[in-house]
Amino acid sequence: MCQYCMTHGHGQVWYKNALNYARQMYKLRKREGAGDPRQKELDPESQAGLILAQAVEAKTADPQRYPELKKMANRLVMQTSVGQVVTLQEAMDIVDLASPIALMSCVCRKMTRGKVEDDERSYTCMGLGIGMFKWDRWPERYKGGVEFVTPDQARDWLRKWNKKGMMHSIMTHGTPYIGGICNCDYPDCLAIRYRLDYGINQLIKGHWVAKVDYEKCNGCGVCVSRCQFGAVKKEVTTGKTNIDMMRCFGCGLCETGCKRQAVTMVERTTLPGMRGVW
Amino acid sequence: MVRMMWEDAFSEIPRSIPRIVWSMDRCPTPMACKKCLEICPQAVFMLITVKNQKFVETDVNEPGAYAMHPLFRDKCVGCLDCVRACPAGAINIAFEGEGD
Repeated sequence: MCQYCMTHGHGQVWYKNALNYARQMYKLRKREGAGDPRQKELDPESQAGLILAQAVEAKTADPQRYPELKKMANRLVMQTSVGQVVTLQEAMDIVDLASPIALMSCVCRKMTRGKVEDDERSYTCMGLGIGMFKWDRWPERYKGGVEFVTPDQARDWLRKWNKKGMMHSIMTHGTPYIGGICNCDYPDCLAIRYRLDYGINQLIKGHWVAKVDYEKCNGCGVCVSRCQFGAVKKEVTTGKTNIDMMRCFGCGLCETGCKRQAVTMVERTTLPGMRGVW
Repeated sequence: MVRMMWEDAFSEIPRSIPRIVWSMDRCPTPMACKKCLEICPQAVFMLITVKNQKFVETDVNEPGAYAMHPLFRDKCVGCLDCVRACPAGAINIAFEGEGD
């Protein structure tokens, strides 16, 4: 079972639990007793960012310290900002649980590709909850402000980015408070990169896995181009798509892109071999 | 797009990780240009916002407000596209044993 459902689900899927969007959950405490005085001034997310950078650097430069730093980074991201992949349908359900909903710019894309999203047409990130009212404190983070939207507008916006090929994930802001829904792709998304390239679990696999129906698949390959995790390939021998369910993160992009409904999303927990794969 | 999370075969041969130096003296306003960020096939660089003030928007043309950090340098293949794209000549990449 998903660890976050066990600790924060109260008997249901944790991101379907309205409590995890509630105002009183919105808190990010500074880490006490951090040795470096400069680190004390940083917010917890920046502190985690520093450890993450150290772990990334150590992977090749200092392999001996890498496992230890990776462990530390994993612990920190779990406490501060951790993501889990959700399907389009789940993301569209979530916007009914949280309020307010605001579209905003993606911080990863700015950092990795220098992309500035400063109007409502380019925003690729969605902020949820009470924190969004305070966006104007950090104009550098929220370039061009934020766009408050209704749940229906938010659903249209999610569909738009899904069609373009972005996968959705929820992101915590002081776990278990869920502070937003991201639209991600590789390599722009730092969470995907940390997970795939450095083994840092800032992104947890979703509750679903994709499975191909070989009867319906005609091998057109649209799904191959939509997978952000390298799990989908065209198997030339069979002339069909092959999805490695172990590599699948369950975003459902292959499913929403398939014109023949040849991909079905299967609940992870119903497959004995997938239950422990997150 | 197929990406394999494979371990290097021949792992007894040490992999060459480049030393990447970005010079703030030569490139004081990276956010105003960002050519290296956009061109890198491996997305090696990360933009750091040095000046992040409450209630004040950072000016992209202010020297020293942003910095470039080659955080993912272990993924650098050495194509040198960024070196060629940089109008200020601010990026220096050196692989050990490849001449300096």
